[in-house]
Amino acid sequence: MKGTTGKHSAQWVLLVAVFIIATCGLIYELVAGTLASYLLGDSVTQFSIIIGVYLFSMGIGSYLSRFFNDHLIEWFIRIELLVGLVGGFSAIILFLVFPLAFSFQPILYALVAMTGILVGIEIPLLLRILKDKVEFKELVSRVFTYDYIGALLASLIFPLVFVPYLGLIRTSLFFGLLNVGVGLYLCRYFAVEIRRAGAIRFGGILILIAETVAFIFSEQIMSFSETLAYNDQVVYSTSTPYQRIVITKNRHDLRLYLNNNLQFSSADEYRYHEALVHPAMTAVREPRNVLILGGGDGLAAREILKYKSVKTVQLVDLDPVMTRLFTGQHILSEINRHSLRDPRVTVINADAFMWLKENEKQFDCVVIDFPDPSGFSVGKLYTTAFYRLLKTAMKPGAVAVIQSTSPYVAPKSFWCVSETLKASGFQTVAYHNYVPSFGEWGYVMAMKSGAYQLPDTFSIEKKYISRAVMEQMLQFPDDMLAHEPLEVNKLNNQALVNYFEKEWGKYLEQ
Amino acid sequence: MKRSEFIKLTAGMAAAAPLLHACASEKSIPGEIVGASAATGHLLRDHSFNAPAEYEQRGVVVIGAGVSGLSAARYLVQQGVKDVIVLDLEPQAGGNAASGSNAFSKYPWGAHYVPVPNNNLTEYLSFLEEAKVITGYADAGLPVYDEFYLCHEPEERLYINGQWQEGLIPNFGLNASELQVFKQFFSLITHFKQLKGSDGRDAFSIPVDTSSRDESLRVLDRMTMKAWMDGQNLISEHIRWYVDYCTRDDFGTPYDVVSAWAGIHYFASRKGKAANAAYNDVLTWEQGNGFLIEALKKNLDGKLVTGALATAVKPTGDGVKIDYLDVVTRQVKGLEARQCVMAVPQFVAARLLRDEERGKTVKGHFQYVPWMVANLTVNSLHERGGQPASWDNVIYGGRSLGYVDATHQQIRQLKERRNLTYYLPLTHALPDTARKEAYRTQHAAWAEKILVDLQPVHPDIRQNTERIDIMLWGHAMVQPRPGIIHGDVRQSLAKSIEGRIHFAHTDLAGVSIFEEGFYQGIAAARKILQQT
Repeated sequence: MKGTTGKHSAQWVLLVAVFIIATCGLIYELVAGTLASYLLGDSVTQFSIIIGVYLFSMGIGSYLSRFFNDHLIEWFIRIELLVGLVGGFSAIILFLVFPLAFSFQPILYALVAMTGILVGIEIPLLLRILKDKVEFKELVSRVFTYDYIGALLASLIFPLVFVPYLGLIRTSLFFGLLNVGVGLYLCRYFAVEIRRAGAIRFGGILILIAETVAFIFSEQIMSFSETLAYNDQVVYSTSTPYQRIVITKNRHDLRLYLNNNLQFSSADEYRYHEALVHPAMTAVREPRNVLILGGGDGLAAREILKYKSVKTVQLVDLDPVMTRLFTGQHILSEINRHSLRDPRVTVINADAFMWLKENEKQFDCVVIDFPDPSGFSVGKLYTTAFYRLLKTAMKPGAVAVIQSTSPYVAPKSFWCVSETLKASGFQTVAYHNYVPSFGEWGYVMAMKSGAYQLPDTFSIEKKYISRAVMEQMLQFPDDMLAHEPLEVNKLNNQALVNYFEKEWGKYLEQ
Repeated sequence: MKRSEFIKLTAGMAAAAPLLHACASEKSIPGEIVGASAATGHLLRDHSFNAPAEYEQRGVVVIGAGVSGLSAARYLVQQGVKDVIVLDLEPQAGGNAASGSNAFSKYPWGAHYVPVPNNNLTEYLSFLEEAKVITGYADAGLPVYDEFYLCHEPEERLYINGQWQEGLIPNFGLNASELQVFKQFFSLITHFKQLKGSDGRDAFSIPVDTSSRDESLRVLDRMTMKAWMDGQNLISEHIRWYVDYCTRDDFGTPYDVVSAWAGIHYFASRKGKAANAAYNDVLTWEQGNGFLIEALKKNLDGKLVTGALATAVKPTGDGVKIDYLDVVTRQVKGLEARQCVMAVPQFVAARLLRDEERGKTVKGHFQYVPWMVANLTVNSLHERGGQPASWDNVIYGGRSLGYVDATHQQIRQLKERRNLTYYLPLTHALPDTARKEAYRTQHAAWAEKILVDLQPVHPDIRQNTERIDIMLWGHAMVQPRPGIIHGDVRQSLAKSIEGRIHFAHTDLAGVSIFEEGFYQGIAAARKILQQT
């Protein structure tokens, strides 16, 4: 019954399959390349290596095709399903393994290679399937024409349609579904020529279901709205019991957000961390033992480790996911110069307040880098109760420094921190500087005794701070003053949270 | 499908729906009724005991290890009377200030806070200093309280008109004339706060017996709070609810039952000033007033006998014989003391003394209201808009008093679970009826009642409650109905017997607050010190 028309349409079905395979294959390659440049930076290198690996793998696939001798259509369909499986899930896999620092690149290239090999097997197989049905000259011309048209289509729709509207995870899943769909269609079309069509179809449907579920669930893996909420591409995001951690990246910088609040931009964080750390460290003679509360990104630790006198640094941060990320993940530990792996640094994952209550050690310098007091929970870490405990953890000549939000946006909040420290028995020195990604930012130094003296020099490696800069930082213009008597922040009034909410609320409304 | 078939099918589904619903709610929340050893206590009523074989000689025996009893014992020991023993039928001391604990926090089973104390209460302040609640005194002579013990912000919130508002005094969505009524009410309260009677005493003071006995004030004890509010033209649904909430909260007595004097006392007797707290701040702990119980017990090592149900108290020639049942061994034991403090409610005192006259007087005048207190262990709950989760969370118009978050005073950033202590004074019926009903009610029914009450503010409370334990207080506190405070029944019941048996309990004060229990104990102890 099928006769010549059957043969004829079979040929076209297979050519459409080539077209789709080519499109999908290139899409997977583009997904891998984009992801790698988001996650690892340096897009030229990433794309170059991935294209190389992909093409080379296709070569391996072409070579391997010689070992397939019988049941070519069946193998073609099987491989089609496999491409759909591997390629479809590639983006999810890459996002998930990203925090497992050391295994990321091998997995990335393995996935690219696998897709390449599978696609590489398919084209020769197809040529062989069709060789009896079409004249060779015709065949080569048609197969490669469709292959390259597919490639062009992929390279156009990927950046223009899929990435903006579906995001990477859904794009790869979408093309996975397409691959599997083609496989299933071929399976039905060539049912007569296939031995165990039922089993293959069953496998295909399983993959189809898995990818559909993942497609729907991808909203949770990396929600579309979240991608929109940040200006840049979200390269990593996770919810820990403590907070939502999001890392974004563009070609200029990498940014860390905790609960949607910017913590640093790799472009200008040195301004913040030099200003946070060095005034306090230079106010202590020969600081040996330093405590960091918060600061799980290891950036304050990086600055502290520049002092030769430092023997130990204890870093107390609530969230093990944060410190693990900034210890193990290469592009992140690159920024903190592997400070969290320094033998002088001990990382303790504990609640700072609870830890301080139990702590019996005393330190020469304490750097407090908590999130802003935007809620009642974190507000407790800015109270007289907390600062009185802090005092017990400081040696007689010790100095502490507290990041204290923006004195420009929230002058009352900023000076409330200072007042609270004074009420807890400290002498304070307030200062501020400009951090482009934050705006005008403020810090309060707290000393158990004595007056603050400007150091003659800051003799560590630095990009920003100097005696002249420090002199400027101590000057507060009128628009950064509170202009009214302020309440002291206590557990039983949480005055700071109220100031903070009002001031930042008003600022963000504008 | 034919129409008739369709009707049959839907009818069938409708019939099955309640069954399905029943199945869904079958998934009961674990927990138990932990009750204030009601069964043991009721032995006293339903059982007669043999006399003990012998009597051990003791200096002072205190019966009841609640706030009054422990305060008496503490004061005696402090004053050098070492031969003191305190008996209590419960396995732990504490009375209404009992507390419990689980893996996540301690939590109260009853009284859970004290307001910042009035500054004239010297003995109370020095106790708080001893308990390290007061860390020192500021320049102006005002006490400095340990910040960890002052109730942390956010303190109180009220769910009203679809939103949580700050504080318990209704204001969200109220119109100007209603707000005006509140203003009027509080200006009356301010007046009473400052008012002195013709005898020069504060109109409303703590302990209640230090208040003025001016006739113009005593008249307030002859009417209900509702009658007084009617007379003052305080007409607003919201203020009625608020005052009723307050009198049920402190006295377990609705505002149309409570004496106006007691009702006003609730608002006008608190005048405490502190160096680092506002006048309306409170002191609280994870375990509520269980913290203060620990502090009262501090110097009573070896002097506390729990699981000891006193069964009889008899004055003898020159002492007092006390029989008690060792609840564990079921043995009746005897103590012969020179002095005895009966720090138990008067209805129990009458039984122990086999004093029918006293029994009749108590029955005729004192009403003890039953309470149900529950502890819910919850995961994070869905929140309605407005003020975030606070220490005290009250639902406007609700029958319960809402819940207090026992983990609120924890300073940690992340709380895996929270323990919510839910309070329900059983004032819907006469105390006797409500009490019997409460003892009959099963755990599942209590749990359901609580969930239904809290569901409007936490729609997912059913799914996120892991455990509910229930405490029943059969006779939680005496109700300060008209005539209790300024009548003469309290005074006559409080009189010591033969200079050897003294009484100390908040029912003799008429209002069940920590300070009253504390001073009841001290007053009894002083009577003993006068004797020796």
